[in-house]
Amino acid sequence: MSIEAVDSVSVIVPEDEKPSVLKRLLYSSSLMRVVSPIAILLLWELLVRTHVLDARFVPAPSSVISSLVEMTASGEVFTHLASTIMRVVIGFSLGAFFGVALGLLLGLSSVLRTLIQPLLAAIYPIPKIALFPLVMIMFGIGETSKYVIVALAVFFQVFFSTLAGVVNIDKTYLDVASNFRASLWQSYRTVAFPGALPYIFTGLQLGLGMALITVVIAENFGTRYGVGFIVWRSYQVFEVADMFVGLILIAVLGYLAQLALLAIEKRVVPWKGSGG
Amino acid sequence: MALIDQVSAAARVPDAPGANPISKIEISGVSKTFRLKQDVIAALDRVDVSINRGEFVCIVGPSGCGKTTLLRILAGLEKPSSGEVRIKRETPHAPLNSMVFQESSVFPWMTVRDNVSYGLKLRKVPAAQIRETVDHFLKLTGLLPFSDAYPHQLSGGMKQRASVARAFANDPEILLMDEPFAALDEQNKILLQEELLRLWSETRKTVLFITHSIDEALVLSDRVFVMSQRPGRITADIRVTFPRPRGVLALKGTAEFGRLNREIWTLLKNEVVGA
Repeated sequence: MSIEAVDSVSVIVPEDEKPSVLKRLLYSSSLMRVVSPIAILLLWELLVRTHVLDARFVPAPSSVISSLVEMTASGEVFTHLASTIMRVVIGFSLGAFFGVALGLLLGLSSVLRTLIQPLLAAIYPIPKIALFPLVMIMFGIGETSKYVIVALAVFFQVFFSTLAGVVNIDKTYLDVASNFRASLWQSYRTVAFPGALPYIFTGLQLGLGMALITVVIAENFGTRYGVGFIVWRSYQVFEVADMFVGLILIAVLGYLAQLALLAIEKRVVPWKGSGG
Repeated sequence: MALIDQVSAAARVPDAPGANPISKIEISGVSKTFRLKQDVIAALDRVDVSINRGEFVCIVGPSGCGKTTLLRILAGLEKPSSGEVRIKRETPHAPLNSMVFQESSVFPWMTVRDNVSYGLKLRKVPAAQIRETVDHFLKLTGLLPFSDAYPHQLSGGMKQRASVARAFANDPEILLMDEPFAALDEQNKILLQEELLRLWSETRKTVLFITHSIDEALVLSDRVFVMSQRPGRITADIRVTFPRPRGVLALKGTAEFGRLNREIWTLLKNEVVGA
């Protein structure tokens, strides 16, 4: 064993030679996780107050917080949040339902796959928000068009994930189902759907991201409510602190929705991590 | 309904030795060809055999000789290109066959109990009856303490036990097994062979079992079919008359076992080298 090798593993420090306090704090990850965002916010505040950053474009954290407090106290935040959550929940549910259903259907039928998949694959690369004008022409500028555009954005993510999930199911499992004389419906229920579930949840996570992107943009049109509306209105009246409030609300909303989805996945797919 | 059950149970009582054997599976002139792009590959070539009720038959043969294809035709997962297979039905409501697959085929998304119940649930057997049957086979395979576990929590041997239990619990006319123990280590293999013998002696199902291990074939079966290199034909039908119940290890030490082993090995070697 060479001296270099010994040196490279000498991170294990003997008991009597304790590392410096600074070093110990830097290595404490749970502490750093709290300290680093606070440090960044403080630095940000400092830079705005010393006019290094232009407060017109990057408002100080303190003014964002006071905007947030103000909007919360007036109840405005909750009205906007409720509108956005409603649109995401309805649109997401619609998109997810049709995505899973069509994904399962095409996954087990190569005939349907040949018929329908090329069409969907052609539409897929179009950013769904580019279809929003068309959707508004068809469904009006009210709530329906917002549900539809969110549903469209979610649908494609969930559909392609579900399809991949079914196609990737080990053929043996389908052989077992057919050897045990499962009907078509029984094969869907006992093999295709549960087998594709891990992929379906990946699709739902991606779809959730798409739903939030889409809803925020769509809330620029034909509504006076929604987190997206806050962002667009503050853009028009140049209230950048309010805009940051909107951005924070979206971030928190997305984060919580993702946690909820993960919690559901843990309950529904308790066998995940088995690797097949 | 109860009456029919009793009658069919009586019909399943194994034949006494020496009684007229009833032909259970008739395979006549079965050939199978696959099309692979431009090539036509002959997998099976005019297979003719007859298997009696309650017989345990093993098929040995070089890899790629079409053993699995033959089994898949019997399982209804493939159609023969020519020839026909007749399986005698004795219990009208029983499924025709259940297959135990080579690789781990227990559903990872179902608990052990749900896996073993699978065939019965699909057939909408009353829940109480499913519970009773499944408990019985879980007990026989030592899986009862693991009935609520998911397959990823089990060892390879336990998974194959669940797969075997699933096939037996379905109570089919015939059982088809495609090298179910091939992936297991030697100790597990012997344990599962003994368990399979116990399960079989209790139910006396007609079993068709594929293996590449001559030892395994001799330990388990009443007859060993030797298959040729592709396109597969059955070139020898060897009777194995060791008394039952058999102990795997004791049996392997006997002179007769060694003689049969060499005999089959010679037949197989000619197939492999001669090709």
